Amino acid sequence: MSAQPQAVDVCAFWVGEAVYGIDVARVDEILPRVVPLPLAEAPPHVEGVVHVHGTAVPIVDLRRLLPAGSPPRTAKPKVILARIGRRRVGLRVDGMAGVRRYTVAEIRPGGGTPGVLAVTADECRLLDLRELLAKRAARAQPRL
Amino acid sequence: MSGAPASVEEVLERFRYRPDEEAPGLAELPSSSVAPDRPAGTDELQLLNFGLGPGEYAVALGTVTEILRARTLTEIPRARPPLLGVLNLRGTITPVYDPALRLGLPSTVPPCAGPGCERPPRPARILVVRTALGPAGLWVDRVRGVQRVAPGTLERPRGGPTGGVIGVLQAAEASVTVVDPEWLLR
Repeated sequence: MSAQPQAVDVCAFWVGEAVYGIDVARVDEILPRVVPLPLAEAPPHVEGVVHVHGTAVPIVDLRRLLPAGSPPRTAKPKVILARIGRRRVGLRVDGMAGVRRYTVAEIRPGGGTPGVLAVTADECRLLDLRELLAKRAARAQPRL
Repeated sequence: MSGAPASVEEVLERFRYRPDEEAPGLAELPSSSVAPDRPAGTDELQLLNFGLGPGEYAVALGTVTEILRARTLTEIPRARPPLLGVLNLRGTITPVYDPALRLGLPSTVPPCAGPGCERPPRPARILVVRTALGPAGLWVDRVRGVQRVAPGTLERPRGGPTGGVIGVLQAAEASVTVVDPEWLLR
């Protein structure tokens, strides 16, 4: 996406008391208001599915996957329509925090929380979406 | 694959989006909506009905990529009708046209671009259609919905210049003229 390989563009958003970021190249759309259709036997963090331009997209509530807390009062809840591989997923977040560009020098690997890859100089936590969702999927396997 | 990354390179490697990456943990969902574009065994047409002034018109649903609530547009200096202005559609500059003029109808679009423009009427919509030159918008007065019809019920013109009309659908309340959006923009 970016011309210089040593910088990364991040779509930043609030979940709880922290700012998290995903690659802007993943983001298709920000949806303001979404009422998902509940799915039977879905794991608790999957709210349901919505139709977006004729495609059924699962909505994942990131507030159930990341540490709880109260976001700033100005934050407006949104759903980020993101791509993972060829699939799409809606991520419910507490509010948007803009698009930010970070250089390599500003990124510190490790974050302590599962799914968090790194923390930037201004405390934006870079997420590994695939790990975040995959771990939960393994845990949500039904027990027979 | 999992665990805490050691270096910034690994962070970026795992952070960046790649179209060929796997998507674990996402429930398999069909790629199309519950109602497929063409139900098996039938050959029905899906029409998007819209209104221009007193008339009812329709285009094939497949040609429309998006329906936007009408908004004020960015003015183009010395733009002539039917070009109304442009809008920024998620980064793509999209020209918006007035289809009424092309159909020989009086324009119903209020001043919608530049200084002194009015707030667009509430039912007005912009249909975004795909063309060979990129997306283009058609300003319509209202959108009524999607209608499924059997191809036989569409009365098609018999030869001669059709003026962009694909056919006419006789309905109980009003007849619907099915037009070709490409022609409206030509």
